[in-house]
Amino acid sequence: MLVPFLTALPITGAFISVSDASGRQSSLCSSDPVAARLDELQFELGEGPQREATRTGAAVLIADVAESSHARWPIFGMALRELDVAALFAIPLVLGAVTVGAVGLYRSIPGNLTDQELSTATAAASAIASVAVRHALAAAGEYGAPESSAAPAMRREIHQATGMIVVQLETTATIAYSRLFAHAFGSARSVHDVAHDVVSRRLNFETLPE
Amino acid sequence: MSNASREAQLSAAFVKLADTLTADFDVVDLLHTLVEECATILDTEAGGIMLLDAAGDLHLVASTSEEASLVEIMQLTAGAGPCVDAFASGTTVTVGDIEASGSRWPAFRDEALKHGFKSVHSTPLRLRGRVLGAMNLFSIRVGELNPADIVVAQALADVASIGILHERSTREKEIVSEQLRYALDTRILVEQAKGVLFESTPMTMHESFGSLRTYARDHGMTLRIVASGIIDRSIGVDDLVRAGVPK
Repeated sequence: MLVPFLTALPITGAFISVSDASGRQSSLCSSDPVAARLDELQFELGEGPQREATRTGAAVLIADVAESSHARWPIFGMALRELDVAALFAIPLVLGAVTVGAVGLYRSIPGNLTDQELSTATAAASAIASVAVRHALAAAGEYGAPESSAAPAMRREIHQATGMIVVQLETTATIAYSRLFAHAFGSARSVHDVAHDVVSRRLNFETLPE
Repeated sequence: MSNASREAQLSAAFVKLADTLTADFDVVDLLHTLVEECATILDTEAGGIMLLDAAGDLHLVASTSEEASLVEIMQLTAGAGPCVDAFASGTTVTVGDIEASGSRWPAFRDEALKHGFKSVHSTPLRLRGRVLGAMNLFSIRVGELNPADIVVAQALADVASIGILHERSTREKEIVSEQLRYALDTRILVEQAKGVLFESTPMTMHESFGSLRTYARDHGMTLRIVASGIIDRSIGVDDLVRAGVPK
């Protein structure tokens, strides 16, 4: 999954983290130990550019790690000094109005991505978004019935249910989506089953106990 | 159907499609227009267009109805059904009698028959040697498409391929993948927006789709922008309801 990024962009390494079946961000893959550490640190600290890209749906570009203030992720910023990372980029993984995770790209020399490189990275990130979700679901397979082989990330009811939960909880699509996943995880059912219950009005998140 | 009225219908369809291919056109909307026209011209009752994603799976992006049962049948054609054959061979596959197709695609056969479909025709969307997806047309009558019909179906399918490529044709390979992805992602946004409307209005999923499309047309906006606006509330659900539900 990382190959398109590593071959098309002037970067040293890459990693992907997505919302897993529990609705939390978790690591999916990384190209080298530094990339893995970058991912792990943000998971442990609960802060960093990948977390922010996932939350806001906007890319975060740090062209020069040494010169950047890291005000939004102070602890992660300090930890970065220990690593051979000169530039760090976070590209959101987007499914419609939902951000499902982010790709992290780093390089050991400073410098920004060009507009062309950024659009290549964004296109590659979009292309893998549904695949990334499928991997995350498969990895959590023991928590629910196996997902349908017919591309679960594209199953319409999941997206329709997401839209319905947006209204039920008066929230954003990204939060609605993660609540859907979290509920499936918590009740040991498949996401598609839960989505089906929402669409057929057997389950309403508004009346669900927290 | 007489040749004269067929010709008139075809040229009207091409004019309508050319109209859609303006600067600000929306691929998903174009594909909807296309499949509706094609189903009418070839006298079939239902149709759908499937596109290939980055992982190699076919997804339904446009169909003559948003009813769940039709969506399911379309998806089945892509799992083990005629769509896969059209896709692999790059030529139209016409199944004149689904009932007689035996054990070739049992799940698809049962589901199609259950909903009254007797024949199906699957035409690949091609672009210079590459297959981007396929268009399925279902009929409640038995009978194969004749060679003239196959040419018509292929011509209309080629318009879809051109539409997908239309925007910027220079960086070809990259752009085709990008446009395919964009179409598929628009479809996801549309599903999310349908969910918002389904939950907050008395409309069915099918009507929700229709109202998104009507609103987009009435306001000269793309389907994608209207869907995003509904999800992030920058377009009020009430405005859309007021805009009216078509048919």
